[in-house]
Amino acid sequence: MSERPTGQELTEAIAEFLGGEILPILSDHRLRFRTLVAMNALGIVHRELQALPAEDDAERRALAARIRAGDVPAGTLGVVKADVEARLRIASPRYLDRYT
Amino acid sequence: MTTVDTDSDDRIEMREALEALLGPDIGDPVLLAGGASKEAWAVDAGGERLLVRRAAGGVIHRHTLSLAHEFEVLEAAYEAGVKVPRPITYVADLEGREAFVMERLDGETIGRRIVRMDVPEQLPFQLAEELAKIHAIPADRLPFLAEARLERMVDELDDVGEPHPAIELGLWWLRENRPEPRPPVVNHGDYRIGNVVVDERGLVGILDWEFAHLDDPVRDLGFGLVRAWRFGVDDKRLGGIGDVEPYLERYNRCTGLDVRPEELDYWELAGNVAWAIGCLTQAQRHLRGQERSVELAILGRLGAEVEYEICHLLEQVAP
Repeated sequence: MSERPTGQELTEAIAEFLGGEILPILSDHRLRFRTLVAMNALGIVHRELQALPAEDDAERRALAARIRAGDVPAGTLGVVKADVEARLRIASPRYLDRYT
Repeated sequence: MTTVDTDSDDRIEMREALEALLGPDIGDPVLLAGGASKEAWAVDAGGERLLVRRAAGGVIHRHTLSLAHEFEVLEAAYEAGVKVPRPITYVADLEGREAFVMERLDGETIGRRIVRMDVPEQLPFQLAEELAKIHAIPADRLPFLAEARLERMVDELDDVGEPHPAIELGLWWLRENRPEPRPPVVNHGDYRIGNVVVDERGLVGILDWEFAHLDDPVRDLGFGLVRAWRFGVDDKRLGGIGDVEPYLERYNRCTGLDVRPEELDYWELAGNVAWAIGCLTQAQRHLRGQERSVELAILGRLGAEVEYEICHLLEQVAP
């Protein structure tokens, strides 16, 4: 897998943050309750993601290996940039506005 | 700086440990929010404003200096007249971890606040002048400093073990287009907005020496141009606070070197490649359980921003 943390790993990190750092400092009962509900919802997302097939990164792995070996034909940069842009549209779409 | 809540037990223990070190005339130590791998405690002692830098979770990468060595670098910089907090003492065991004590400087350190401040026009000149002084520190004064090479970045990427074609392409271009290497000098290693103290008069001091090493001087000179360290003010290529040309000209005048803009472009790209790999290694600290943190985790995905910038820079040099 090349997208690390995976979506599932991100839900784990958020759940640990809510359970380990936020919940212990909440004294308001309603907020505590809603935080627990949010953590349950996050658990649903986590299990739903688990049911999905793992990302196939064979193509990306092959491309990285070719570049490492110095095999960089014309057009490589365009292919690489399109791949990064697709990942950014998930990870941080607003960042792309900085280049317009 | 913002403070964080600490258990009062921690604070009482830290106060007792610091009393033993600095004398009875001390105020309550306050843990400041900040670095992941180091703790920073603010404390006043004997009428002086001090900062205690203490080891915490782990290190950012394996070339990070120990606090003992970082303290020696700080001393060497102070002796060389570089604007740094005055180093006071190194402590091998402060409540179970190594630490050192230095002067606490007044001013702003948070990058996104600095780029929105009304900083004086001299700031780029001051950054160039201080860097020239750092690069004049005699390397034999700090014999433990290692020399960095491009291969080090490849090793770090291989440690992560994920395929990142954009980083590979950046590394490939850096190998193919390496300028004539300049004799290595003492590099700060992380010389950028975010690691300096600034006030309305300009540069107050330079912090965070844990990545000091020997390297091409232009490596340090170009690192502050990396887009991530412009904190959103992208049109000011020097750290979101100024233009590059006056900075480069002042650096050349102070050092007697003749660094060309193309060399700076090369090292700006190298800085981006280093930071793209840095994002991945930070995320690995979370994924491998060395330090579980959402902040570290998300860097693994935000590294795509830096990879996009690598592609953008490669388009400029090799369309």
